[in-house]
Amino acid sequence: MDNPVLRRELLDRLRSGKTLASLIAVAIVTSGIVLLRWPASATVDLVSRGSAEVFQPLAWGIAAAIVMLVPAFPATSIVRERQRGTLALLLHSPIGPFSIWIGKFLGNIVLMGVLIAASIPAMAACYSMGGTSLTQHIVPLYLIFMMMAIMYTSVGLLISSYQTSPDASLRWTYGAIIGLAALSLAPNVVLTGKGSMMATVAEYLSYLSPVPAIYQLTGSNDISLQSVRSTATSGFLMAAALVSLGMACVTLYRLQPKLLDVSKSAGKVTEQRSTGAQWLRRLTFLVDPDRRKSGIPPLVNPVMVKEFRTRKFGRLHWLLRLIAVCAVISLGLTYVASSGTVSWGVERIAAVMVLLQLSLLLLLGPSLASGLIAGEVESGGWQLLRVTPMSPRKILVGKLMSVVWTMLLVLMATLPGYVVMVYIQPALETQVLRVLISLGISALMVVLVTAAISSVVNKTAVATATSYGVLFALFAGTLLVWLARGKPFGKQFVESVLMFNPAAVALAEMRVPGMEDLNLTPFAWYIALIICGVSAIVLSMRVWRLTCPD
Amino acid sequence: MPQVEAETVVETNALTKRYGEFVALDNLSIRVKRGQILGFIGPNGAGKTTTIKILVGLSRPTSGTAKIAGVDCATGGKNIKKLVGYMPDKFGSYDNMRVREYLDFFGAAYGLPRSKRKKRIDEVLEIAQATYMQDRFVESLSHGMQQRVGIARIMLHDPEVLILDEPANGLDPQARIEMRTMLLRLAAQGKTLIVTSHILPELSRICDTVAIVTGGKLRAFGSLDQVMKDLCPLRSYEIQLTESSQLKRASEVLKGWCLPEEKLDVSEAEAVIRFPTQRTEKELADALKLLVQAGVAVVQFREVASDLEDAFLRVARETMSVA
Repeated sequence: MDNPVLRRELLDRLRSGKTLASLIAVAIVTSGIVLLRWPASATVDLVSRGSAEVFQPLAWGIAAAIVMLVPAFPATSIVRERQRGTLALLLHSPIGPFSIWIGKFLGNIVLMGVLIAASIPAMAACYSMGGTSLTQHIVPLYLIFMMMAIMYTSVGLLISSYQTSPDASLRWTYGAIIGLAALSLAPNVVLTGKGSMMATVAEYLSYLSPVPAIYQLTGSNDISLQSVRSTATSGFLMAAALVSLGMACVTLYRLQPKLLDVSKSAGKVTEQRSTGAQWLRRLTFLVDPDRRKSGIPPLVNPVMVKEFRTRKFGRLHWLLRLIAVCAVISLGLTYVASSGTVSWGVERIAAVMVLLQLSLLLLLGPSLASGLIAGEVESGGWQLLRVTPMSPRKILVGKLMSVVWTMLLVLMATLPGYVVMVYIQPALETQVLRVLISLGISALMVVLVTAAISSVVNKTAVATATSYGVLFALFAGTLLVWLARGKPFGKQFVESVLMFNPAAVALAEMRVPGMEDLNLTPFAWYIALIICGVSAIVLSMRVWRLTCPD
Repeated sequence: MPQVEAETVVETNALTKRYGEFVALDNLSIRVKRGQILGFIGPNGAGKTTTIKILVGLSRPTSGTAKIAGVDCATGGKNIKKLVGYMPDKFGSYDNMRVREYLDFFGAAYGLPRSKRKKRIDEVLEIAQATYMQDRFVESLSHGMQQRVGIARIMLHDPEVLILDEPANGLDPQARIEMRTMLLRLAAQGKTLIVTSHILPELSRICDTVAIVTGGKLRAFGSLDQVMKDLCPLRSYEIQLTESSQLKRASEVLKGWCLPEEKLDVSEAEAVIRFPTQRTEKELADALKLLVQAGVAVVQFREVASDLEDAFLRVARETMSVA
């Protein structure tokens, strides 16, 4: 504890109520899972099936908690110091970049270690039920959890050193972690068993994700992950260590006074460049972001235009790129399925597409909507909006539409994939329609829940982290319960929980394996619409309150 | 209607604002005429921002009225917002937005048609001498530049009254002079300005009228000369000696000459004696004569002009002593 940065970071956070709440939440949730399958009769379960049924959801639950909790602090750590001006003071002090980094790094790791340790009593109870080995299951699992915490903390600190605002840093960190945990598996899933060099690369890439390793330790079955199963744990531990080391080196390299030595943008517009450069930009950008804009057109909500313009990725050229990528991926997936490159059915392709869209909605939605109200209040812009003659309704509609349009564009971009799917199998038309309705409702829910949180919380970074937490719990958390169907959760319970997840309707409609017998339509839609309605009421009331004279 | 009333643009009558038990503003009554610059002075928490918020329609008074160009600020709604341009102490920056786009957004928000907006943006950039920064990103501007853009923004809808909260805060001397010139130019164009500032010498150079508030109460209000006369009735004099060893003798001479309320302030480091007085020029000449006769070597015997800062400090001290 000689390191003053570590002392400050760790003591401050250990003293906070949030840490205590997180510890209690982890302990209660993990103990709850064990209690569900605690033997009720005196009969000895010789094969220890109950323990195995608990071990799997417990492991996934802790892993999900790590993904949600770990990035929140390191992602905002350096950028916040920079914003407050304290980074300059630290860099000017004799403690040096390594001490700063290690202080922040260990501060988070120790705290995460404490949080993970809160699950040990539940795991011990699970162990006492038999069927799990300390050396083969539990210790390697906890090693994976710690390595996840180490890798995600390194990622968060690195991204934090690049970003200029805490909320942007949070978005990028969550995006990177989802990329590392889920997207790194995609190439291996498609190329598995091909025997080519690409397949080998894809296999190595999949080691970046803890998913195969947890699959290996919990004894889950998934054909697409079989190729990595034998070396998954050691592979992940090695890969995570290498990635963490690399990221730590880059962060240390960046933690120099030059980090603060950045000149302000001169704001050069395309019209001020040479004719050749103007033509080159015309070719490389469909819509040149540096070209002088004409005024906001009549009948268009100025707040909506402002929201688009103030987002780094809200400018038209970025939206076009995003749509193009979505369209290409959806068409590619459908083509791969129809041309027999992989032996997947249409259902499986649809499931991948739904999950892809859901990931995009979950990643983009909170990042776009969490700053709608909180960001405006934080920057002082809300005060300026209040003194304009615009009504609260106009301000709110403009803000919401800026996110709704983006989400609609993302959803529309995958339409070609669904069209091809219906063309291949016309009987799927009704199912595809229901899938699209479910995704539309999911998008609406993401936007309204995040915007409501943004209106209640006054800081964008807090709104972003809270929104990601709530939405991951609603969309991914409920799917975790589904993963533990029958062990320990019964069908009725799983169905009730999935009622809160409109995206699950889309998966169930496409007869995704394990979801065929779930009856979610249309009640899950109604529940989602009720959540949307409540969020809209909260949002409207808060906006009205914030706009009214004090 | 009498001429004086017709010219009054900003008017508050017994304006009071309470937050529970706390009285933020207590019976504030002021009147500002068209083309005048009102310097609104007070320590932190005096009630300046509360008054401003009521005037721009961001806060409702508990009792009393506030009117701008005859429109009630509490019930005027959109009309008030069109009559007033408000520049808060916080700039309200947006990321990734160029100055021109920023002004275009606020122009659209104030309902300026697109055809007129472009021309108006050019005009306000010219007024604020900010044309050269129209393509810069607002978040990358220096504080002084942002203040210029802020002035351009509040001028967009051509309001009658401009309310500026601490416009000179954080500006360097050059930028402060430019801001002063700009505000005087706006007043010359017929705009009525209400300006708060902690930099009182700055305010005294541009204000026609001054309002001093402390603890939510109006302590002084009127033209700058009138307020100075009311708050600082005694003239301040300063006697500079050649060396501090003579201070004792000089003090003894002056004590015999001074009235009881005219207290001497002796600064040994500067070899200076200061005192406030109501005496005539002839009586002061007698004092100088007495000093010379006593063998005191006087370098300077001069009147020190009182400024707004003295007046403000006097009010602040009186308020503190009452409290």
